[in-house]
Amino acid sequence: MKPHFLAATALAAALGYAGMAYAEDEDSKLVEPLAAYKSYVADHTEKLLENTTKFTAAVNAGDIAKAKALFAPTRMDYESIEPIAELFSDLDHTIDSRADDFEGKEKDPKFSGFHRIEYGLWTENSTKGLEPYATQLLADVKDLNHRIENLTFPPETVVGGAAALMEEVAATKISGEEDRYSHTDLWDFKANFDGSKKIYDLVKPLIEKDNADFVKKVDENFKVVDDTLAKYKTADGYELYDKLSDEDRKVLAAKVNVLATELSTLRGKLGLN
Amino acid sequence: MSAPETGNGKPSAPSARLMYLAVAAAAGLVLVGGAAFYVATLKSHHGDDASNIKVAVTSKSCEPNEISVPAGERTFEIANTSDRPVEWEILDGVMVVAERENIAPSFKQTLKVRLAPGDYEVTCGLLSNPRGTLHVVPSEEANAAPTHATMRSFLGPLSEYKFYLGRQSSAAVRTAKDLADAIHAGDLAKAQALYVVARQPYKRIEPVVYRFSDLQNSIDPVADYFEKREADPAFVGYHRIERGLFVSKSLDGLAPVADRLVGDLATLDERLKAMKMTPGILIDSAGNFATQLSRDRLPADKSRNAQGDLSDIEANLDGLGKIVGLLRPVVKPVDPALAQRIDTTLSETENAVAEHKTGIDGAAPDAPDRPGQRKNLVAAFTNLADALNQLPSAIGIDSNGT
Repeated sequence: MKPHFLAATALAAALGYAGMAYAEDEDSKLVEPLAAYKSYVADHTEKLLENTTKFTAAVNAGDIAKAKALFAPTRMDYESIEPIAELFSDLDHTIDSRADDFEGKEKDPKFSGFHRIEYGLWTENSTKGLEPYATQLLADVKDLNHRIENLTFPPETVVGGAAALMEEVAATKISGEEDRYSHTDLWDFKANFDGSKKIYDLVKPLIEKDNADFVKKVDENFKVVDDTLAKYKTADGYELYDKLSDEDRKVLAAKVNVLATELSTLRGKLGLN
Repeated sequence: MSAPETGNGKPSAPSARLMYLAVAAAAGLVLVGGAAFYVATLKSHHGDDASNIKVAVTSKSCEPNEISVPAGERTFEIANTSDRPVEWEILDGVMVVAERENIAPSFKQTLKVRLAPGDYEVTCGLLSNPRGTLHVVPSEEANAAPTHATMRSFLGPLSEYKFYLGRQSSAAVRTAKDLADAIHAGDLAKAQALYVVARQPYKRIEPVVYRFSDLQNSIDPVADYFEKREADPAFVGYHRIERGLFVSKSLDGLAPVADRLVGDLATLDERLKAMKMTPGILIDSAGNFATQLSRDRLPADKSRNAQGDLSDIEANLDGLGKIVGLLRPVVKPVDPALAQRIDTTLSETENAVAEHKTGIDGAAPDAPDRPGQRKNLVAAFTNLADALNQLPSAIGIDSNGT
């Protein structure tokens, strides 16, 4: 803690609210990045709704090729805003749960959402029986859009989201666990990465003066991950997960874990612990 | 691949060492409660923090499945004893209060969270598993109620309000542009329909717009403020357009007025986006604006079409409701009675507006209100304003400079 902060605090205690101006000024700097992050999330939820509408329409029309082509790009808008989206536990479960979350795995009637549709499209290679899941998914995404619009984002969730997204990558994307039927994990990876970087970029101006080394390291690590991921970029998205070389997988795993650890200190650096 | 470390899950060895040192130092300094410290020290020596609340997630449920903890900052230690990766969430209704995700089988993670008194649900592994219960009981720690709000408690509300202002002002520009387009195209019916829509976003952010008096005077002045009233060439803004659309029923001369309105709203949008957000914007604006409505505006209907007047009131109340919702979590801990009074007066005002709506729906423009109706509306807004005007003293943040 810096001495002048202690002095200001002591002064505030002595003079009642007179010292408030200092703390107010320090804390209120976060208002801009937080508001900008809400705009970012709102734009993505709107796009998610737009794309989910098209994706579910393709499923309902029995157009397998189109539905498969729209699956990965549609998910990106969900994955990039996951720290906020997953605050709504009921919707996160119906939209994005995995077969492992259910006793009967893939055959469990409660298994729903993106991954249930993914299972139908890739493993069963059919849209048969997927209509109820598509209808539910669209309704859930509409609901999510509405709830996010009205939500005051908890500041610590936003700032903590940078690390949470990297943990998400480490736990579910590097292993190829999440999109196990379609192997489109690198799309999700990119979306998680972008979502994390967005939060970091928004708060960076507030910390770089006092944390020059930290900022330099984090920037470098983000760049390595971004460059590695860019090798797998295709005309309309990303290569399938099995194309990822062992070497690159190791680089990504290492860097993502380092980033998760580094970014987990952001809350403390911004006084949000 | 090892599980990533996070802000909540610190590496166990160093933290145990730190804990040991901290506990030992505390014991040495305070020289009291020797036995308790001794136990804590022993436990922490084994890498095990005694104050952590331990939960195991089995393949069927949480153990224990019902936990009771004192309010305040608590650390949970979640062990996954099932054979799949699990998440552990504390839920308040459908909202996640805090969570740890992807805890690998036979791994432990810690989760530190500040909990307010109340009953929470806890998810335990498989989605079909029964949920656990977390009772958070009042504690001395949590009862040390704040006497005034901190800037920290305003961070979320101010950010959200900044976003809201930006969204609404962008919408105001967009809808005014649509209105101007219809006027340029000579489509009176379409322009009439778009007018009411175009006013909504502006009316929602009106509690803050009064800060920009130059813009307010060109965007939304009433004819009475001009020497020659409606005939005054300086009379511009929404009401000038309204007069053309609904009284003269002619688009003559409206195009330049509409273009200017679009330009003024774009300037407003820029200023709002550049505006520095301080607690005073929330604390003062709502009360000031509700007072202005109840005292000056509502008693005298300034709108020239009945439906438009009602839409204005609804949008104004919508904007006030947004501020009330944002301030609720700030006000409640420092003055629960006032928080309740504001909620009550707000819902009474919403009811009064709804009743008013029934009264004038389908009525011709300029139709008089049913007797007493406007009086009820004014009374409801007056009560709301009285409640909102208590905010500055109740919250106790110096809101100068806003």
